[in-house]
Amino acid sequence: MAEPILRLAGVGKTFGQLRAVDRLVLDVEEGEFLTIVGPSGSGKTTLLRMLAGLETPSEGDIVLRGRRINDLPPEKRPTCLVFQSLALFPHRTVGQNIEFPLKVRGVAAAERRRRAHELMAMVRLPADYYGKNVQKCSGGERQRVALARAFAYDPEILFFDEPLSAIDYKLRKTLEKELKDIHKETGKTFIYITHSLEEAMVMSDRIGVMHQGRLVQVGTPEDIYQRPRNLFVAAFMGEVNQIPVRRNGNGTWEGLDLAGHFRADATAERGHLVIRPELMRFVSARDAADNVVEGLLYNEYSLGSRLQYQIRVGEKVLVVERSRGDAFAGDPSAPVLVGWDVRDQLFLED
Amino acid sequence: MRRAIGLWTGLVVVMLYLPVLCGVLASLGQSRYFRFPVQQWSTAWWERTLSSIEIGILIRTSLAIAACVTVAAVVIGFVGALAFARYDWRGRRLYQKLLLLPIFFPQPVLGLALLLWFNALGAPLSWWTAVVAHLVWIVPVVTLVIAIQVYGFDPALEEAAADMGASRLMVLREVTLPLLWPGIWSGALFAFLLSWGNFPLSLYTTGADSTVPEWLYAKMVAGYTPMVPTLGTLATLAAAGALLLGGGLLALVRRVREAG
Repeated sequence: MAEPILRLAGVGKTFGQLRAVDRLVLDVEEGEFLTIVGPSGSGKTTLLRMLAGLETPSEGDIVLRGRRINDLPPEKRPTCLVFQSLALFPHRTVGQNIEFPLKVRGVAAAERRRRAHELMAMVRLPADYYGKNVQKCSGGERQRVALARAFAYDPEILFFDEPLSAIDYKLRKTLEKELKDIHKETGKTFIYITHSLEEAMVMSDRIGVMHQGRLVQVGTPEDIYQRPRNLFVAAFMGEVNQIPVRRNGNGTWEGLDLAGHFRADATAERGHLVIRPELMRFVSARDAADNVVEGLLYNEYSLGSRLQYQIRVGEKVLVVERSRGDAFAGDPSAPVLVGWDVRDQLFLED
Repeated sequence: MRRAIGLWTGLVVVMLYLPVLCGVLASLGQSRYFRFPVQQWSTAWWERTLSSIEIGILIRTSLAIAACVTVAAVVIGFVGALAFARYDWRGRRLYQKLLLLPIFFPQPVLGLALLLWFNALGAPLSWWTAVVAHLVWIVPVVTLVIAIQVYGFDPALEEAAADMGASRLMVLREVTLPLLWPGIWSGALFAFLLSWGNFPLSLYTTGADSTVPEWLYAKMVAGYTPMVPTLGTLATLAAAGALLLGGGLLALVRRVREAG
């Protein structure tokens, strides 16, 4: 395997008593789109600031192409960060913003102008925006300016600190796809952080999930979605049903907060069954699925193309999602049977 | 209602500017002493004032002090404002309080205290010691004025510039200074005007030199001539001119920037 472009060897950052980033170990491959997802306060911004050189690690090493860069200041690193606020210079035009890294490097004005127009075309900004005041640009246009400016620096790695978080849903979807296209066209290494799993799923080659300063799981979007390593990742990936269980003598598992015996492919004594709402279905008989529980339909929501049902089973509420073509057709006041198969559930050991 | 508000506003403005008008009237009479209504109009005192060598020296001394104070106060105030509002460091809150205290000291007391210090240090009193005295009071004001601008400044802009390869000096020249410029300019105006009009600090610390406000006071106490209101009017007009020029330039730069 080729040498990783970036290697984190036990990188950590402590602020007083708080361990914001806890000894991360990670290799980033050349040209990949890696997204770090995690809730607020999981340490992802601190991690990115260390990679960009805006914070110094308290421990561990950051290695760029075999060279330790812990103490290299940001202006000497071949990396560029697109800030959450975008940090466009408000006193400069679109063109001047994009040309800033070139001006710093002493590139002649004519060449800067040519390059700026090239980059504007790449990020799909009209050429007549060159002389426009950045403060008069819309949110989406400002994103493009920030991206073009980062590319003008010609970095080996681009970092993104949730730049799309302030953009409305529809435009965000467009920009996500464009960013993915630009990543493919340029072949640069992208490291992106976000708290939105959806965003990560659309764009990334690999996703790292961060929780309380640690990388809980790193893998392809498919991996993370299908095979979450623990309950945190499973729950972070979207709404899931969790049923804590304990093994019985007869090879089945007994629900702890849900009366019933469940089948599972596992050997552990205790664990959680994790079932996605869309993999649960309404059944007509107790033997129509591997695992079946009985409950009362207590709420129904429309999610657009899908319907979500809340089923009360004793003290617990299970969530079932069906497509519109497969809506619940039974008597809503009578007890309903909800079932799922062993191959659709995940057994996570405690 | 609108009329009442207009009337009230007019009244307030008149009350604010009437005293200045009095000075103008007093300077335009022919008589040696001020009498109202003015018996005989004349510009003689203006001619005498403008041609007076003594007053020329006074104005030059005041200008020299104000110019030196402006330059020094802006440099110290700029750096101080960054420490005040931009960077987080141990003791910042204490610094913020300590810095503001001199603004509230009674100036005559501050002047006297400085005079005692200059004597103790054996510094010969001249307009140079007055510059130092003015700075003690004006630097905090300028720091505060610039700090207000710094508070509205996104630190990520400096980080972004550095991240794209700019050295510290380039960040200062390309990002920090252009963005803080309006605050620095306002600070400079404050420094100039506060120094130009200052009396209590100058009184104690100029030694043999004399500034415009000092001379005005001295002549009021003994040896009144209509050159006092004349020079007073002149000084007021100069200050107003500086303010208009400064404000106009600021507005002009803003408009040019926004037109882009």
